[in-house]
Amino acid sequence: MVRVESPPIDRETSVARAVLLPVLLMGGATAAAAAVVSAAARIPVVWCGAVATVAVVALSVQLARRARDLRSQRAVYERRFADLERRIATHDDETVRLSKELLPAAIHRLRVGNSPEEVLRDVVDADEMYRELPDAQRTLVYTVLNIIDNEEAMRDSAQRAFVNVARRVQAIVHRQASELREMEEHHGRNPDVFDDLLRIDHGTALIGRLADSIAVLGGARPSRQWPKPVPLFSVLRGAMSRILEYPRVDLHSIAKVAIIGTAVEPLIHACAELLDNATRYSPPQTRVHVTAVEVQTGIAIEIEDGGVSLSEEARARAENMLARAQAGSNMNDLGESPRLGMAVVGRLARMYDLQVSLRQSAYGGVRAVLIVPRAMITTGPAPGIAHGIGATSRPTSDIDQEAMKHVVPARRKPRTPVAQRPATGPVAPATRPVVPAAAMEDDVPVVTEWTAGGLPQRRSRGRAPLGSHNLPAQPADPTAGQRNGYANGHANGHGPGGPGGKEQPPGLWLEAFTNAVNGVPQDPKTDEDSDDAWDKGDLK
Amino acid sequence: MNSPRRERRTADPALSDPERLYVITGDPDGSERAQLDLVTMIVAQAQPTPTVQPEQAVILRLCQAPLSVAEISAYLGLPFSVVTSLLTELLAAGLIESRAPIVRATLPDRSLLEAVMHGLQKL
Repeated sequence: MVRVESPPIDRETSVARAVLLPVLLMGGATAAAAAVVSAAARIPVVWCGAVATVAVVALSVQLARRARDLRSQRAVYERRFADLERRIATHDDETVRLSKELLPAAIHRLRVGNSPEEVLRDVVDADEMYRELPDAQRTLVYTVLNIIDNEEAMRDSAQRAFVNVARRVQAIVHRQASELREMEEHHGRNPDVFDDLLRIDHGTALIGRLADSIAVLGGARPSRQWPKPVPLFSVLRGAMSRILEYPRVDLHSIAKVAIIGTAVEPLIHACAELLDNATRYSPPQTRVHVTAVEVQTGIAIEIEDGGVSLSEEARARAENMLARAQAGSNMNDLGESPRLGMAVVGRLARMYDLQVSLRQSAYGGVRAVLIVPRAMITTGPAPGIAHGIGATSRPTSDIDQEAMKHVVPARRKPRTPVAQRPATGPVAPATRPVVPAAAMEDDVPVVTEWTAGGLPQRRSRGRAPLGSHNLPAQPADPTAGQRNGYANGHANGHGPGGPGGKEQPPGLWLEAFTNAVNGVPQDPKTDEDSDDAWDKGDLK
Repeated sequence: MNSPRRERRTADPALSDPERLYVITGDPDGSERAQLDLVTMIVAQAQPTPTVQPEQAVILRLCQAPLSVAEISAYLGLPFSVVTSLLTELLAAGLIESRAPIVRATLPDRSLLEAVMHGLQKL
């Protein structure tokens, strides 16, 4: 390194200075020796001295030069050493920055959905701090991003495969469920078949929940959509119907609110998992109590079981599982024998802003509290306000009562003797054989009152206004009676649900009997069997 | 029941409910249904208490006046077997009373029916 060498003059003077002392000493020694020795020996001594001095000079010069070179070289090396150290330090800093800042930022961008090239362009090239990143590091970042991208793609496709399979199972289960429902309607009169159908139905619902769980763990949202708000009570019963031991669940004081359609399915699923947990980890003879109360932030659904209390570690583990699921863990965390429940609940909670916590219950077991945010709740009337499967039952019955109010006074009189009848008559409907349709036709028109027109008034027609009782007697149009009855139903506010006809009060099957009594040719459909007759409302 | 195959109702998701029938029926194995048939008349003996199921409350309200099982089933939109198991529970609790429909012997006699016929002919 030329620049670190000192100028030549300095070098020469320093050499001269270093040489001076030995030369002087040698010269002095030679002179002294020459002075001491005899004249005859003086000449050789002087020569020897001169030669020795020259040798010393040469040696000293050489030594001094060496020393000087050594020094300069050491300086050079020291400088280089410092330089290298500085570079190592900067390298360290760079590595730290790479691992602590650049890569996380890049991976975050990758996760958001950019391709590795885009990430490199946005994060590395756009930032002047990283712009002069060495090629090797650049390659490193790119490679890492590429690997992550590939892995993510693979995991995504694996999850998509999971979700895909789950979706198919869900589709089959849904179809199965609706078919089963249909069969339940069809075989509703045969209790043995019906109970068997219910058992199959239950099993299908359990399969459906598993498929839902897989879909949720695969990162998908629940597929099923409920177009309209559903009452919370129905939601909780929906959750009950998806667990094995539903008879052990008691619903107490459920807040009368409805859940908006989009939140129904996740809520059902989350509650089902919590209920499943509660029933599974408590003794089989204990009950599981469910309450739902309004709180400031929404609705708190509490699920308490009478099982063994969670130990502090177990609770911590469960909460940890919940928290991890909420943070978005992947399926690998579930382990070999997955306890899916908590993971599913955690995921759903994260997706839908539910809050879940596990506490010790007053019953000694676990109390799971699920807080449903206010955004999911609507206090407006749910369609078919009623709880339960007979979603139309409540409105129909309410209006029915209303409609009956003005009829009831007229009906009180006939009712009283009827109510007393069991005391005298045999209360043995049990052994009564099924009445053939022909006999029933005779049975039905129970004449208890007479109208002004000389016509008997049937009690069963009490639901219609008094004035309309004459109308079915006009035999001109075989369907007149029905249509008329339908109209009456509407006039009484029976069918709030529009023209679909499902809301037609199914009690109108009696019209068929009226017509039969009147000798009106019957609609073939209505007289085949009474099952069809009473199911008529559904057919329309 | 070999009537012509009933037309399949298209499953309308808007009308379906989240809960399944067995939740309403209760434990399918343990329940012994009371002997009720479609035309058994049901009368409520009490007002619905807060502890009964919603469906049972509706039944109790509907049956303030006597109503046949078939009608209850139709009003609730629930199959007959579900209704009978609900009614069985209510019967066991003493909240309702069931009675057979009026048998032929208790019907008005022939003269009454003739009067009906004449009344109709006069219209």
